[in-house]
Amino acid sequence: MTDRLNKLTTKQILWILVGVWLGGTIILIAALGFGHRNNEFQIQNEFKLVNWTHWGVFSINRAVVYLFLAAFLTVGTMLWISRRMQMRPNRVQTAVETLYSLMRDNITRGNMPDSMARTWFPFLAALFLFLWWSNIIGYLPLPTNSEQTFNLFGAHIPSFALYASTANISVPLVLAVIVFVIFNVVGITKQGPIGYTKSLIPSGVHGPILLLIFPLEVVSTFTRLISLTVRLFANILAGHLIILFMAGGLAVILGLSFLGWALLPVAVLVYLFELGLIATLQAFIFATLAAIYIAGSVTHH
Amino acid sequence: MLTHVLSLGAASGLTKGFGIAIGGGLGAVGAGVGIGIIFGKVIEAVTRQPEMRDEITSIQWLGFALTEAVFFYGLVAGLLSYVLT
Repeated sequence: MTDRLNKLTTKQILWILVGVWLGGTIILIAALGFGHRNNEFQIQNEFKLVNWTHWGVFSINRAVVYLFLAAFLTVGTMLWISRRMQMRPNRVQTAVETLYSLMRDNITRGNMPDSMARTWFPFLAALFLFLWWSNIIGYLPLPTNSEQTFNLFGAHIPSFALYASTANISVPLVLAVIVFVIFNVVGITKQGPIGYTKSLIPSGVHGPILLLIFPLEVVSTFTRLISLTVRLFANILAGHLIILFMAGGLAVILGLSFLGWALLPVAVLVYLFELGLIATLQAFIFATLAAIYIAGSVTHH
Repeated sequence: MLTHVLSLGAASGLTKGFGIAIGGGLGAVGAGVGIGIIFGKVIEAVTRQPEMRDEITSIQWLGFALTEAVFFYGLVAGLLSYVLT
């Protein structure tokens, strides 16, 4: 049997997989048929925040747990690695050093003059790492869905669910507000209130056209707040929604059992795409844009 | 044309899902064209000047993420219309 498997070419294995997939779909259609629409399943309940403790504003729900986990991982991994730095780096240290050089060279130094980069590197690196961990743990199934429990040796354990704190609009909004306040305060302290207001106007614009340009520039400064927030939040939320729909959500809602099997390869591909590219890319973009905004607020453009 | 499509959607009882369909669909058109242009230009640039590859790659991801976000603006607007109607 194993000899036979070894003799198969990649093309044949691919065809066998396609055959299994197609055959499974047809068998499931034949065996289970077409069901009815399921109106009980509410897709928004997957992202619902249920308070586990009742402490008013400080109540703990799963978004809070994810935030604490991300903060702990951000601090913990960096301290742990820095304690056991070696001359001959092992695999983990190499990975962390790659991440460090990405934060130092691409995010900070690539967008800022060196004197500023020294000041702002800790903030931007912390921002990047926190968002990166938040996004990454968002793709690990953790037992956080307390609405649906399952029974394991008598203990009621919450169902495993994919959830990301960054898929909740308040988390990216708070981070974007922090960045917004920082670049405005830095701009005003470095250039003075009047100088900062003047620096919003593009150079070479004079005369009555200013009446048109100046409000536009002010609006575009505030738009940064929205675009920073919505970019991160919508990317992560849409990724989670597509994974949810493809990995069984559609099958449950439409009552078509075979869809669960037929769309599973799509779910796996989207999951790998999100985990491999989008999670890192969105953290990178957020930190890079924060660096560009902070650097742009002290220079006249 | 658009009003015709909208009334058709309303007549067939698709009003709730219609916002998402239009927002997501039209958003995907724009972002698709944009991402295609970005990666096409990157290929052109790298074939002309292979020594600039690293610099171009970092700008490429910035452009990709900024363009891709446009799709999500459409999707979020559609989701808002779904929630609000």
